[in-house]
Amino acid sequence: MKKYGLYPGCVMPTEQYALEKSIREVLQLLDIELVDLKGFSCCGEPLKSVNQMMTITLSARNLAIAEKEGLDLIVPCPMCHLALSDCKRILDTDPSMNQKVNKFLEDEGLKYTGKSNVFHTVEILHNVVGIEKIKEKVKKSLKELKVATHYGCHLFRPSEVGRPVDSENPQEIENILKAIGANPMDYPEKLDCCGGLLNANLPESALTKTGQKLQKVQEQGFDVFIDVCPWCHRQYDTKQKKAGETVAAKLEMPVMYLTQLLGLSFGISEEKIGLDLNLSPVDKLKLGGK
Amino acid sequence: MGNKIGVFVCHCGINIASTVDVKELVNYARTLDKVIVSKDYKYMCSDVGANLIKDSIKKNKLDGVVIACCSPRMHEHTFRGVVEAGGINAFNLEISNIREQCSWAHDDKDLATSKAKALIRGAVAKARLLEPLETSKIKVVPKALVIGGGISGIQAALDLAEEGHKVYLVEKSPSIGGRMAQLDKTFPTLDCSSCILTPKMMEAANNPNVELLTYSEVASVDGSIGNYSVKIKKKARYVDIDKCTGCGDCIAACRLKDRISSEFDEGMGKRSAIYMPFPQAIPLKCTIDKEHCLQLTRGKCGTGPLCVESCEAGAIDFKQKDEEIEVNVGVIIVATGYDLLDPQSLYEYGYTRSKDVITSLQMERLISSSGPTTGEILRPSNGEKPKSITYILCVGSRDETQCTWCCRIGCMSALKHVYLLKEKLGDDVEINICYTDIRSFGKGYEEFYRNIRGMKTNFFRGRPSEVRNAKDHLSIDIFDTTTNKLFEIKTDLVVLVPALVPRADAEDFARLLRISQSADGFLLEAHPKLRPIDTFTGGIFITGCCQGPKDIQDSVAQSSGAAARAANILSKKELEAEPLISYVEEDLCSGCSTCISVCAYNAIELVKEDDKSHAKVNEALCMGCGACVASCPSGAMQQRGYKDKQLKPMIEETLKK
Repeated sequence: MKKYGLYPGCVMPTEQYALEKSIREVLQLLDIELVDLKGFSCCGEPLKSVNQMMTITLSARNLAIAEKEGLDLIVPCPMCHLALSDCKRILDTDPSMNQKVNKFLEDEGLKYTGKSNVFHTVEILHNVVGIEKIKEKVKKSLKELKVATHYGCHLFRPSEVGRPVDSENPQEIENILKAIGANPMDYPEKLDCCGGLLNANLPESALTKTGQKLQKVQEQGFDVFIDVCPWCHRQYDTKQKKAGETVAAKLEMPVMYLTQLLGLSFGISEEKIGLDLNLSPVDKLKLGGK
Repeated sequence: MGNKIGVFVCHCGINIASTVDVKELVNYARTLDKVIVSKDYKYMCSDVGANLIKDSIKKNKLDGVVIACCSPRMHEHTFRGVVEAGGINAFNLEISNIREQCSWAHDDKDLATSKAKALIRGAVAKARLLEPLETSKIKVVPKALVIGGGISGIQAALDLAEEGHKVYLVEKSPSIGGRMAQLDKTFPTLDCSSCILTPKMMEAANNPNVELLTYSEVASVDGSIGNYSVKIKKKARYVDIDKCTGCGDCIAACRLKDRISSEFDEGMGKRSAIYMPFPQAIPLKCTIDKEHCLQLTRGKCGTGPLCVESCEAGAIDFKQKDEEIEVNVGVIIVATGYDLLDPQSLYEYGYTRSKDVITSLQMERLISSSGPTTGEILRPSNGEKPKSITYILCVGSRDETQCTWCCRIGCMSALKHVYLLKEKLGDDVEINICYTDIRSFGKGYEEFYRNIRGMKTNFFRGRPSEVRNAKDHLSIDIFDTTTNKLFEIKTDLVVLVPALVPRADAEDFARLLRISQSADGFLLEAHPKLRPIDTFTGGIFITGCCQGPKDIQDSVAQSSGAAARAANILSKKELEAEPLISYVEEDLCSGCSTCISVCAYNAIELVKEDDKSHAKVNEALCMGCGACVASCPSGAMQQRGYKDKQLKPMIEETLKK
């Protein structure tokens, strides 16, 4: 059992419960132990355009908490993952920034030294657990299942910060899906944005982006749409109906978290991976051997 | 040994005199042991300065001279001549660099002056110990080797041949002609590329002074300026070129006809296993591709090789072997050209995902009337005429993640294509150009650009984010920075204009010739402005795109330059060899071979005399770099003019308080 701290962020524990449930179930089965740490705050990313120093300090604070427990972090939200990675990059290369931030952390008795590393769920599955181990756990092969993958912008850009996957042609999720027998297929819109970040001031545009991508995916005859980011999932799953109305299309695309599909393939019950929480028509999906 | 030394201090205008007190230096020098005369002048390198030195040598019967001035790299050669004209050995001169290493580096006049005194003190100490040296002579082999048979190599070879020098022109592919032979027309004059190149190729083939060595590669290079000995591997063609008439019957007969991707057509067309790269190939002889030929790969070709059956001249010879020849030449001109960046490294441009994404060189083959489609522009995916064509410039060029440099030909070649495509497909074809800047810098280029702008072409300034497959067409998102608008281009054919990169084997090749590469991987010139054709290795010159991206006109000009530089050497019977090279104190040498391992010029060998081995320096090969001297654990290696017993007193004196 390898131990990691779980950094939940804000979207997952407040509305995207299915992501958390499925991650906890699937990782446990793959011999990854998740430890809940006390005292985490916001990653700081939403403040970046207003107060960069605050963003970095908040990120550093969370990293310092993990460091205190001597744990590396699993960060399922790509946006939080970006914030923590960027903070790490800055503090590990800029001594004066490091000093300034540590001054703020002193009040709480925390210290950032850079010992703890930050991993995304996809990295853990692909690089730590490994494809072979995932193959071993498969109970139901998802043969012939045509899968469209969606990584979410924050997982692959900006490349200069150092992201878990390639910025132009990521293949990690595809490799994981192949391991459970599914058939992930390339499609031109794969890297397109979900629109989620436009929600605050241009909600119409946000839904248009969401709807356009789903429409293309549906036209190309995919069986299921897989994502890993709670923000993206909110667009594609939770708001699918509204997105369909915005682009005047009838959208009926089953949308699932990667860990949910893995759970199904590993024979975990639908309830345990929170499939009942998905609002997209996941019932449509007829899985082999079900 | 210098017993009567003169010290001459140069003001270098105010370059030295403004920070160093020259008068004080002159007075100080007079106080040094063995110095009997000391003078200063505003410009020691001028005629007046030179005469001042000469007259002083004669008048005072000097036997050693110290000149305190600029770096020896600047004027040492000049001053050696001056000293010799004064009547003493040219090597009884020591330069004290008080400009680059003193006046330019410091502000405080007092401190700079005292440092200059220390430098002169050291130089005088060495001058007291200098010995006269004799320059030896190297016989020049009046022949040249040109590596690379593209337009650059051909031009250099022809220029040298015309001056009466024998030239070996080595080309690794079966025909000379290079990249230019692949082009349809040339910018900005729209000359037919083959029509202006073929006569030059013919000339090279027919000139009695040029020996063509096609399908050959340089295997090793030894020796130095004036006398290089070069081994050349002549790859087996499996065709007797004396018998082959170039009729092409075998090509038509080959069982693999139209089955092998043609390198010359950049994969747009097919060829046989026995082939001629293009109809105007020189020599007009066939070559068998041993990677594909059934007889050569499997030992069996149906009931018997059809090429042998069809060849009336009986030229095919499967027993032919690679052959190695050795030639001696005085100079080498390198003209090995460039590669195109493989657009696969930019995944977003979809080169691997769609057949309808091609490179500009592939387009060049489509446009060419001798190309795979006989000049018809057809989409590779379905063989139909495209209604819309989009060019993406700077693919990998001027890009921090790929190549930082400009390819210098991309803009103009795309503009040329616009003209040719409009001519072939009519005005209906829509042409989009996505550019970073249009760089039309050469003579007549800007005028050409202006003409094209009038030809109903859409120019978008920006880099497309992605090329996408969409049902029957391609789609490109581009943010145009001149209008600040996002455009979606729907197009049938995308042409990528990739960066020009060094040849894939440039590093090995540079090592083979012992020449350097710049950070970008292209071959390095000795000076970017004043010695753009020379390398740091004497007698080796570079021209064309192996030195950096350039267009045909610049390549040809540089090649004539290279030929002229090379002729400077070839026209002399003998060259003077620098005597400042290393030698072995045989009694001290233990034969450990450390020096041999550090010598970059293969100039040292181990010889055995009466049970004892010692190192021996080949004086013709030694370049005087000093690596062996520094590495020798027993002090047996010494360099003339820089012996330990000359340098140590110099250091001691310089550092003395």
